[in-house]
Amino acid sequence: MAERPRLRVLLVEDEGGVALLIEDMLEQLGHEVIASVAHLSRAQRAIETATPDLAVLDVNVAGETSFDLARRLASLGIPFLFSTGYGDSGLPADLQDRPVLAKPFTLADLRNAIARTGQASA
Amino acid sequence: MSSVPTSFADRALSEYDALVAAAPSVLEAIPGAVYLCDAEGWLVRWNAEAVTLWGRDPEPGDRKERFCGSHKLRLVDGTPLAHQDCPMADAVRLGSSTRNAEVVIERPDGSRITALVNIRPLRDRDGRIQGAINCFQDISAHKALQADILRKNADLEDFFENSAVGLHIVSKDGTILRANRAELDLLGYTAEEYIGRHIADFHVDRPVIDDILHRLSCGDGLDRYPARLRAKDGSIRHVQITSNSRFEDGAFVNTRCFTLDVTDLNQALEARRESDRRLAATYEAASAGIAEVDETGRYVRVNDALCAILGRSREEVLALDLIAVTHPDDRAEEAERYRRQRCGELPAYRAEKRTIRPDGTIVSLEVSSSSVLDEAGRFRYGVRVMQDVTERKRMQEQIRRHAERLHELLDALPAAIYTTDADGRITFYNRAAVELAGREPELGSDQWCVTWKLYWPDGTPMPHDQCPMATALRENRPVRGGEAIAERPDGRRIPFVPYPTPLRDEDGKLIGAINMLVDISDRKEAEARQKVLIDELNHRVKNTLATVQSLALQTVKHATDLRDFATTFEARIVALARAHDLLTKRSWMSAPLDMLLHDVIAPYSQRGERLQAGGPALELNPRAALSLTMVLTELATNAAKYGALSVPSGTLSVTWTLSSGSDPALEMDWIERGGPQVGAPTRRGFGTRLIQRCIERDLDGELDLRFEAQGVRCRIRVPLSLCTHG
Repeated sequence: MAERPRLRVLLVEDEGGVALLIEDMLEQLGHEVIASVAHLSRAQRAIETATPDLAVLDVNVAGETSFDLARRLASLGIPFLFSTGYGDSGLPADLQDRPVLAKPFTLADLRNAIARTGQASA
Repeated sequence: MSSVPTSFADRALSEYDALVAAAPSVLEAIPGAVYLCDAEGWLVRWNAEAVTLWGRDPEPGDRKERFCGSHKLRLVDGTPLAHQDCPMADAVRLGSSTRNAEVVIERPDGSRITALVNIRPLRDRDGRIQGAINCFQDISAHKALQADILRKNADLEDFFENSAVGLHIVSKDGTILRANRAELDLLGYTAEEYIGRHIADFHVDRPVIDDILHRLSCGDGLDRYPARLRAKDGSIRHVQITSNSRFEDGAFVNTRCFTLDVTDLNQALEARRESDRRLAATYEAASAGIAEVDETGRYVRVNDALCAILGRSREEVLALDLIAVTHPDDRAEEAERYRRQRCGELPAYRAEKRTIRPDGTIVSLEVSSSSVLDEAGRFRYGVRVMQDVTERKRMQEQIRRHAERLHELLDALPAAIYTTDADGRITFYNRAAVELAGREPELGSDQWCVTWKLYWPDGTPMPHDQCPMATALRENRPVRGGEAIAERPDGRRIPFVPYPTPLRDEDGKLIGAINMLVDISDRKEAEARQKVLIDELNHRVKNTLATVQSLALQTVKHATDLRDFATTFEARIVALARAHDLLTKRSWMSAPLDMLLHDVIAPYSQRGERLQAGGPALELNPRAALSLTMVLTELATNAAKYGALSVPSGTLSVTWTLSSGSDPALEMDWIERGGPQVGAPTRRGFGTRLIQRCIERDLDGELDLRFEAQGVRCRIRVPLSLCTHG
């Protein structure tokens, strides 16, 4: 298996417990969590500070969707995937081709989803 | 023959010779015109009267004139007659006499006279024609008279024959002597079939003709004596005979009868009588009251029905006028109407009024009043037809009240209801319809629906003429199962289910439609809410499972053994479940902080005195409730394992306040006392990480966690905006 690139990851997840899990999983996959935020405003600030290689976005962040943030990432060319408790339905048309992780997910699920962002093989 | 001596007689002159020899005075003495021609026709003698009649005087001795001294001669019918062809010429040449012949003499001046001519040839003893004598006289006046008589006669004949009135003459014994064209035409006989028969043969009624003949024979005239004659075709002609008799010398000669055919007149009269009879019968049999009133309004003629309607006898009614029988409240109006009709302002009118019967009952009448005018257009009398409409009015009133009640009922119904005519124009709407539409529809102008704008359930605009109501009207059937969205002028959109149903009259003809619009906003909202709830539940379950997954993995990572794992994991899961319970009780809207705290601490504080807790009531939002549950659980587990709750002497105080100001926040103090000596943990455990995450990261708060010697002290500050709904 080829050496996987170490990705600098932005994690947007509003529940601390779950954030901990995903952070651990990302680290287990050899990536670096450069920011883990529970609020969209914080996520916005994180992008402005440093450009991540990948973003893992909870769909519902403290009652708001992360779609606008996702579009912003898309316009910046930053790959991202969604993690959601809603399943893969409910994504707007322009974001439907993005990888979706249905919570709860396994380490393998996360790895595959990252691969599907196109970043893993980059 | 030789001349021989003659006797006196022999020697007597012939008539011719005597006349020639006579003195002129002899001819002049003859009363009338006279002239003499010789054997060859030459004029030899004539008198002055002849000159007068001829209008000329022939030259004496001149032998130029033969046969006649006139200028010209004509026959009576006007054809020219040459002198050599005249009767005098015949007398001289042939010896013929002429008696009372008539010729026309034309004078040189052109005037003509008719002459009566008498000619005799004159012979000698031996019979030889010696000449002729002509005596003539002017009979022009006589002729003119005769022509006049003839003309008069002809006129009379013409009058008789061509008179438009039938005429016949009957002899003494009753035989028809003459009959004119009109009479023959009247009965259809030819003259041969009629004339010569007895007049009685043609009469239908024998006594009548006997009486007629008797009267006439007595000299009584008949003046328009009615009789019936039988025509040839068998039909009976009604005639009036005017006749008188002709008597000569006191003796009855014949009768002259004028026969006037009055059959048609009789038929017209009969028809009119029939019509009158029928009218009278109708008048009496009519169920409507009929009256004739004079110009003062007084009843002149009334039928039984009218008396019945007014509840009075005919005598009573005839003593009253139309105002007197009118209800006092209606009198002024009625009087004014009748006045206008009488003076011609109204040719007729129809009105409703009331009357009071003598027994006090009030009757509603419908009156149709019209005028009968004379030829000059002046008012003669009024004809009034009256109908008792009391019952009809009562029914109408009842129907009106029903309709009113129905409208009130419809108005009171909580469902939006409106009706339209067959063209879809709004004819009625209730209050609920106004509330649903958010506007007041315009009656008779708005079409198809009371709403302002319509949309299909998917949000595309629905033109009003394609709405379910329009379909129901167009296809004449109820439309069910549809849904639409109404937009009110204020922008609010209301989903509804319409129930358009056609309305038909007794004959099944479409007269409109009724529609009920059922507002399904509540249902739609409930459905939406339910979907949100299910989505939310799914999200929550999945997130919870993710949290459990995280807790399990983290607990495994830090557990000293399986037992430690079981205890810690169980505590964490149970606390999470308690928080869920609290939130579920409030439909995942909120959880009160004090109860949440109680549920977390309860398992570790069997005796309540070890716990001091207090602070203002605060409803936490679900996120904050779960985060704080996890924080408090970690603190409690730690206290139970290593801190104040691990020894009986330990106490725990959890207090909180709500700071006010520009940045209001929940400030909570967790203070443990009386527990074992506490040392700072050698490495940051999962619990600490989790607490930090929940407060600082998730709730954007501040955490001050100290492991002091006296016990753990934790100070938490979380913005109220993040932990409550406010």
